[in-house]
Amino acid sequence: MKPLIEIRNLEVRKNGTQICAVAQLDVQPGERMAVIGPNGSGKTTLLRVMGSLEQQYTGQCRLQVAKRQCVYVHQAPYLLRGSVLFNATYGLAAHQISRHQRQEAAHRWLARLGIDHLAHRPCHGLSGGEKRRLALVRALAIGPQLLLLDEPFADLDPDGIQTVCEALEEACSTTIVVASPAPLPDRLGARLFSLG
Amino acid sequence: MQLLWNGLIDAGGLLVNRDALVLNAAWRSLWISATAVACAALLGIALGSLLARRKIFARSLLVLLLRAGMGLPTVLIGLVGFSLLSRRGPLGGLELLYTPTAIILGEFCLAVPIIATWTHSAIRQLDPRVAETALTLGAGKLRRWRTYLSETRLSILLALLTAFARCISELGIAIILGGNIPYRSQTLTTAIATETARGQFARGVAMSLILLAIALLVTLTVAWLSRVKEPS
Repeated sequence: MKPLIEIRNLEVRKNGTQICAVAQLDVQPGERMAVIGPNGSGKTTLLRVMGSLEQQYTGQCRLQVAKRQCVYVHQAPYLLRGSVLFNATYGLAAHQISRHQRQEAAHRWLARLGIDHLAHRPCHGLSGGEKRRLALVRALAIGPQLLLLDEPFADLDPDGIQTVCEALEEACSTTIVVASPAPLPDRLGARLFSLG
Repeated sequence: MQLLWNGLIDAGGLLVNRDALVLNAAWRSLWISATAVACAALLGIALGSLLARRKIFARSLLVLLLRAGMGLPTVLIGLVGFSLLSRRGPLGGLELLYTPTAIILGEFCLAVPIIATWTHSAIRQLDPRVAETALTLGAGKLRRWRTYLSETRLSILLALLTAFARCISELGIAIILGGNIPYRSQTLTTAIATETARGQFARGVAMSLILLAIALLVTLTVAWLSRVKEPS
């Protein structure tokens, strides 16, 4: 099977300093992979290259997925002005999903991540953990082929981590790459790729 | 001081009695400036966003020119407009000189640089995650642009109010392009200058009070919006 992500001799430099280097990495469709490593080892940069948000690199990074089917969730997610529901449906609206369907999908994922009761609240009052869950809802609601999550378990309590793990398990057809400074919960069943 | 005090008392009488000349000039000032800012918003917001998000030829020079345009003397715009709209000018056939439309055109030129520069700055200063979030969630060009405007809407609203305040209080364009014709093209500022010169001090003060009230309203709105903006 052709890998969904194929990386060869990738190197990213900023101001002459190497900030990320990967000799070879293949990620198969449907696979869960965790990129682990200490701070500054280039985990975020690697995810940004995979998400086509980082263009300045040498080597190869081939994606067998359309750009619109690849979603990157920031380490500190940015929530747009408006309600929780507006944010949850933003990606669905961008994918031309009908109003009724996107409301239904958004509410389903909001309930799955345990924040459906916040649907009509403005985003600026949310806690760090709620913001992170909402960013995940926004990404999962689209049903992307490739999901790139930068430290998705930061700011989450043990219950929150379990809820997020369960939600990620539900997205079984999605290839998920997670960047994390420490090994991830076992139940995620992710292959480890170590940087640095 | 006595002159000003008497003027204020007489002005109060004119406002209470709804003096036709005063109200006519005030109403004309309001709709001329509002129309000019509304038209300038269409071009200014589009231009500001384009310069902020697209790498186009001579972008830095265009931004510099727009910034310089924010301080453009209104008499200069009036003179250029006059040379274009006068009978011998290239647009003389339109017969727009000494009409409210001519003032709108001049104030449009005054407002565009203000709105475009503020829009440009607001979008440039947006958190880079806004663009990345919109892009990664599959938003097309139009939706991304709408998202940028939505995220910067308070700054843009402040730009519109600032442009309106500048337009309604300017004199150069209104007097050169409008001609200061009572009940036709006379605005508050030109009427204040004329009435004071004619010795009708009370009328001048009455119109100044209206202008002051409008300026205060705009300033208070700007201050309130700025306060709303700070916590986010």
